[in-house]
Amino acid sequence: MKRGKKITVILITGIVALMTAACGQKNNTGENLILNEDVEKKSIVLFAPMERTKPDAKNVARTAFDNTIIMAEEKLNLTVEYNTYTAKDYQEKSYDDVALDRIRNHMDDFYLLNPDVLQKTGAEGRLADLSGLDCAKNLREVVKTANTVDGKLVGIPQEVVVYGLFINKDMFDEYGLALPNTPDEFMECCRVFKENGIETPIGANRWWLETFVFAQAYADLYNGGNTAAEIEALNNGERKYSDYMRPGFEYLKELIDLGYIDAEKAYVSEAIDGEGADFLAQKTPIVMAYWGAANAETAYGKPDFNLQVIGFPSERGQMPVMSMTGISVLENSEHLEDTMAVMEVILSDEALQAYSETNKVISPSKNVEVDCIPALKPLNDLVNSGTYVLASNAGMKVEQWGNTCLIVRELLNGASVDECMEEFDRLQEESLQ
Amino acid sequence: MGKKKRNKAQKKFVLIIPVLAFFCILGAVVFFISQRISTEMSDSAISNLSESLDLLSNTIETILKREAEFQKLISQELASSEDPEDLILSYDQNDTMVKISFIRSGETEGISNTGAAFTEEGLDFSTGKTVNGLPMSLSYINSMGTWAYTMKCPVIKDTEEIAALYVEYIYDSFEEALPESFYNDNAMLYLMDTASERLVLKPKGIGERDAGHLNLDDFYHANKILEDNIQADIAESIKNGKDVMFYHDIQNEESLIYMWSVNDGAAYLIGYVPVQAIQQEGDAVNQNILIVVAVMLAAFFGCCILYFLFERQQDKIRKDREAEREIYNSQLKDALQTAQAANNSKTTFLSNMSHDIRTPMNAILGFATLLAKDAEHPEKVREYTKKITASGQHLLGLINDVLDISKIESGKTVLTTSEFSLNDLVSSIDTIIRPAAKAKHQTLDISVREIKHENLIGDETRLNQILLNLLSNAVKYTQEGGNIYLRIIGLKQHSSQYEHIRIEVEDNGYGMTPEYLKTIFDAFTRAENSTTNKVQGTGLGMAITKNIVELMGGTIEVSSEIDVGSLFTVELELRIPDIKTEELQVRDDHPVANIKEDILKGRHFLVAEDNEINAEILSELLDMEEASCEIAENGKLAVERFKDAQPGRFDAILMDVQMPVMNGYEASRTIRALEREDAGTIPIIAMTANAFAEDVKDAMDAGMNVHIAKPIDMNLLKEALSRYLK
Repeated sequence: MKRGKKITVILITGIVALMTAACGQKNNTGENLILNEDVEKKSIVLFAPMERTKPDAKNVARTAFDNTIIMAEEKLNLTVEYNTYTAKDYQEKSYDDVALDRIRNHMDDFYLLNPDVLQKTGAEGRLADLSGLDCAKNLREVVKTANTVDGKLVGIPQEVVVYGLFINKDMFDEYGLALPNTPDEFMECCRVFKENGIETPIGANRWWLETFVFAQAYADLYNGGNTAAEIEALNNGERKYSDYMRPGFEYLKELIDLGYIDAEKAYVSEAIDGEGADFLAQKTPIVMAYWGAANAETAYGKPDFNLQVIGFPSERGQMPVMSMTGISVLENSEHLEDTMAVMEVILSDEALQAYSETNKVISPSKNVEVDCIPALKPLNDLVNSGTYVLASNAGMKVEQWGNTCLIVRELLNGASVDECMEEFDRLQEESLQ
Repeated sequence: MGKKKRNKAQKKFVLIIPVLAFFCILGAVVFFISQRISTEMSDSAISNLSESLDLLSNTIETILKREAEFQKLISQELASSEDPEDLILSYDQNDTMVKISFIRSGETEGISNTGAAFTEEGLDFSTGKTVNGLPMSLSYINSMGTWAYTMKCPVIKDTEEIAALYVEYIYDSFEEALPESFYNDNAMLYLMDTASERLVLKPKGIGERDAGHLNLDDFYHANKILEDNIQADIAESIKNGKDVMFYHDIQNEESLIYMWSVNDGAAYLIGYVPVQAIQQEGDAVNQNILIVVAVMLAAFFGCCILYFLFERQQDKIRKDREAEREIYNSQLKDALQTAQAANNSKTTFLSNMSHDIRTPMNAILGFATLLAKDAEHPEKVREYTKKITASGQHLLGLINDVLDISKIESGKTVLTTSEFSLNDLVSSIDTIIRPAAKAKHQTLDISVREIKHENLIGDETRLNQILLNLLSNAVKYTQEGGNIYLRIIGLKQHSSQYEHIRIEVEDNGYGMTPEYLKTIFDAFTRAENSTTNKVQGTGLGMAITKNIVELMGGTIEVSSEIDVGSLFTVELELRIPDIKTEELQVRDDHPVANIKEDILKGRHFLVAEDNEINAEILSELLDMEEASCEIAENGKLAVERFKDAQPGRFDAILMDVQMPVMNGYEASRTIRALEREDAGTIPIIAMTANAFAEDVKDAMDAGMNVHIAKPIDMNLLKEALSRYLK
């Protein structure tokens, strides 16, 4: 009976609650005036590369970036609108070209820029100085150096992109090879592999072979203790870029000539697409890639062998190569204040911590440390000890990353080392005019 | 029973079918209504979507037409201008028209409003698409890094085309005309340049951050619209400038994809909206319907549960009642059986009694006949009267026992406790039993030991009865020359206020069979039927004894063996008096050592007796003892007679109890209350057929001195009067 009473009470309570809810609703029939209360929300515009990926593949790095934008939108109660672009094919304008035009026509408030555009537009005085931001105080010196043009910090990245050699340690062990530190040691490793039937010991694509060059070219410049003076000498023409670049190009040429690199294949290969399959199939013991490739399952995240990521060979030993994309703000942006506020949020230690944890990358902030996977430890140790070279440096008047890439491509296409050096000389001449 | 259950289950089943049928119909109706609402709402939503897309399409077309019309106006102005190049240079760039250029007919290079040289290079008018008659170029990324198109307008002066006016427009200018949010940001909306299939105007905000904004192919891939037939149908529709709308899953969500023609298919508004987003209202209505149905169902099932619980409870009550009834019936049955058994035993008992009463009655009547015949022979007369007396005594004993047991069994017996002396009790018993034992040459050994208190409180009369019953049986059922033992033993006290005693009566007599031992204490049973047994008796003695013992809170046990003897053990706890007081009470069974045989001689009594025969007998008996009496017919007359008489006229009053007008008790009280010298002292002897202990007590309470049960035993009368008459 007690249970019966309980059920009755519950039923009655439920009915009363429903009736109360029904009666409690406002009756607006008498109010005919409906006001449009839409409040216009502030918005700023970002220009960024467009995704052109397979529909099912989630780009983790992009998601991490979006999360920091969402963080800013929530904190500042504004909307960040995206303007995106990517070229359909080589005949269309590249992203960098469009970014350049848009900056010059004040189309957006802030931009994701590659080093060459950043350097060019920075030099034109079109980018705002970010050094006054609080978040800039947390930056590693190398990041500031790489993105400072004419004394203005014109770009801040969300990650430091570090390139290294991806090594199949099992294959090195199989042939009793120690991990190479110098160009000679590396050459010897390639020889042993080649002699043991590995047809092409180094897997390469048309984008990243320049890292070999940078490691040898600038190992002394960035680690010799006289960096600023040497860059100054390059900028004013006292020293020549070609003198720095020559050993690296010659070394690359030798690797090609000895058949350790398949130049023809590399010339037409896209990054990872071209060489990745052979590396994962353990047909190739060495490739080069960026830090994140070791974390990404779509790249080299799940190898069936002992993967190690080490620095590129140089006379100073293994050398990581760093490159940076930056987020830059239009100098005369219509919403400069709001954009700077957004920059403060998306580049804050909090945002960078979240970004780095998602992508497992080296943060530009000296306050953010993220554990790396064991395979990346050798590279991480070098970076932490301050041993690296920069593949992009806004302080150098000749843009490095884009130009070197194109000149290495010429080498792959059959140009001589001298021809390549002439191109550097030409670029330096232009910069001096 | 099983059939009943089956019927009940069948009934329930029969009830369930219509209920289920009702719910099926209800479910079908609700489902139908819900589907109808969904369909109608969906149709309405699709219609709304179509209208929205039409509106957007018209807006864009209107903008295009206004642009074309404005361009024509400019061309007219240029035509009428004397220096068109100068006019061109005077135009500023604005948000819509970002570049205005002019090329004279027959030339390949002209001038732009920026001052830069202008050629048609990079502009593709081959698509044949026009706006208001003006050719529209293929979309391209302009020098501002944004998607743009150019319309070409001839500059006609006096019917002669003197130049062409090129105006570059950017798609961004349509942004203002498009909604900021479409279906609460759930819908995607792009503007596609049909010829290049490039998406030239894209949604902003987070939606833009996903893939699939490059061109139609990218849109297909990003949204997995990969079916060749669908793509072919769309291509055909786009080619013909038709609107397209179809359902397809996008990111695992059923969506509606739309491709809406703008400017006869020169551009397309394309995008998708999840079906759920456009059916929100319908879903809300359906949800509300479901809530109502769910509440109704819950209420219905609630009622069912309540009904079920109520039924179960009723069922339980019914079962309990049935169980109670069964128990009641069983009890009734038992009671009936008991009653029948009692009736049977009483029938047997009556049969025995009939025999037992008839036997002495037969002797009395027989000897009375012989007495009449042999009246002249004094010796025979004495012999006969002696036997008549003995038979009468036996008959009296029978009647006393029957009355006693029936009274005990009906619960009317109460113990009359008073202080008594154990020694006196024992000597009284000894006095009665020893002569009988002696007559059978039996030895009677009485021992009392370890009794701490001589005086105890209890019902002496009933104790006396217990001992007499046990000992008289022992004498009766022991052969001549046998031994009989009475042992009264003090046991360890449970309480300092009670004396714990054990009474053992042992003999080496005939003994009893084990079967008889089982029923020895039952009323109305006897070891053997009296009609076949030479030993006569009511058979109630042991039952009476056991009942009295239990009434006193004690126990009685018996052990016996045929031809060896029997042992009866009674254990009792009797209260110890607080202060030893002098025994004051007068008892009718007080042993009298000296009975004066002539105590009645010359005495004059007042007799209150309503029964004439009894009065006459008493009168005769007294006469035989040379005493005289005056008879009063009731208590009142007796009182008056006594009141009127001189003090000392009567030696004692012999008072019957049950009398008309005034009974003996009242009469005694009245006499005792009289204000005359002898009112308090004259002995009043109760002579009544009310022979029970409580009758004795009542008599004493009424102020009488002695209680003598009828029929009158002259010896007892003498014994009593010996104590009170000088």
